[in-house]
Amino acid sequence: MSNTKEYARNKDGSNIAKIVVDRDLCIGAASCIAVSGATYELDNENKVVVTNANDVDDATLIMSAESCPTKAILLFDKEGKQVFPK
Amino acid sequence: MENYKYLIIGGGAAGTSAAETIRQKDPVGEIAIISDEDHPLYSRVMLSKPNFFLGKIPFNQIWMKGKDWYDTNKIIFIGGRTVTALDTEKKIVTLDDSKQISYEKLLISTGVRTRPWNIPGSDKKGIYSLRTLEDGKAIMEAIKTAKKAVTIGGGFIGFEMADLMKLAGLETTMLLREDYFWQPTLDDKSGKMIEDALSKSGIKIMKNAEVTEVVGGENVEGVMLKDGTKIDCDMIITGIGVVPPNLDWLNVSRAPLGNSEPPKGTFDTSKAGIIANEYLETNIKDVWTAGDIAEYKDLLLEENIQLGNWVNAREQGRIAGLGMVGERTPFKFVSFYTTQGVGISIAFVGDSRPLPDRQIILRGSPETGSYERILVDTKGELVGATMINRTGEMSTISKLIENNVDITTHTTELSDPNFDLKQLLTK
Repeated sequence: MSNTKEYARNKDGSNIAKIVVDRDLCIGAASCIAVSGATYELDNENKVVVTNANDVDDATLIMSAESCPTKAILLFDKEGKQVFPK
Repeated sequence: MENYKYLIIGGGAAGTSAAETIRQKDPVGEIAIISDEDHPLYSRVMLSKPNFFLGKIPFNQIWMKGKDWYDTNKIIFIGGRTVTALDTEKKIVTLDDSKQISYEKLLISTGVRTRPWNIPGSDKKGIYSLRTLEDGKAIMEAIKTAKKAVTIGGGFIGFEMADLMKLAGLETTMLLREDYFWQPTLDDKSGKMIEDALSKSGIKIMKNAEVTEVVGGENVEGVMLKDGTKIDCDMIITGIGVVPPNLDWLNVSRAPLGNSEPPKGTFDTSKAGIIANEYLETNIKDVWTAGDIAEYKDLLLEENIQLGNWVNAREQGRIAGLGMVGERTPFKFVSFYTTQGVGISIAFVGDSRPLPDRQIILRGSPETGSYERILVDTKGELVGATMINRTGEMSTISKLIENNVDITTHTTELSDPNFDLKQLLTK
């Protein structure tokens, strides 16, 4: 069982309904923060936490997940289907 | 002769990010990436992470882009080739197989190489450094049979590799030339926190240790220190910094690296990289540089710096890509780097050099296991920070640096570890 944290997203018009951070994979490289500082922060264990799941549009959110060098950010749509990583 | 509108030398994070940005803005312009490695983009960051090495993360996670990504985006990947000549007047690049390629816009994002370790015996088998996927694979193979490892150097690589060696079950000794870990960027208290965590995990640390010779036959059997101590080991990992790759092809026959006033038509370089302005443009028309090799004008520090990490490379690639499609954008970014291991997290934000005229405000203490140093310049602005187990404040510190917040009247609050730094953002 991996060590994950889930964050619900309910932004109007968005196809992404859930952001999942795999804390075992996250190494605190913080590239996601560089792409979308409005969405993420590091905690004191150097792992990413989502501070605002609804601030940015889907394109930015996908870009932030794509930037992660360990693919620790997973995105799911309303049907529960994984949108990223594909 | 093949012609590309956009030609990128270097297929790492910076080059690939540039190609991605260009394709988003220009759906039809031809793009090619030349890489001396014959792999699509992989995560160089993952290479030094224990979970990857120890097989807890599947190997295939290393690939950041599959072949299909290049095909879908019509990006030609020329792998396993190096550049041997560049004519910036005719705009032609020559490869090591004599093939010539012409371009309209060129990006140089070659990255850097690990600093070679040249001491007696350093040609023996069993000595590794970490930069490429091949380097990583070789170390992964070696730890299967090795029993005793020595790591050389006190930076991020030394820290992460010592952690990895220990986790892999090897008896591990870390050799530092300095008085303490990460001297002088960190203070001795921060250094000691890291050393304590390393020691607690079972890693032996030897300070002021200079290796004079690698001993053994064909294979490494140990290292000899200046003070006569011999340490037995069957593998060595060096993390002693980086150097530029061979850049002879940058018409440097007329302008050696570091020439302060390059003759007309030659590149402005430093000893460590290629000089760029804040738009990541070099002094040569239609040539940009990005990533570890770029010594760029940092708008926040108002000086030229070079900074090698994944995030910086990605962001610089994006900015160079925008410039190449005609959307000239300055690179303004608070750099940071973090790592964790042996139960401790370490972060550097902004400019963390402890220059003599800088004020240093301390938050927390080694005793509480949470310790931060905030660096303030002579103008009273926050310029950087180092953090041990306080990465939670990294984003806020970055914003304070970016917004040039004057903190001269808040030094008391800053030195209170329980004061919420976010309050300063609204002032």
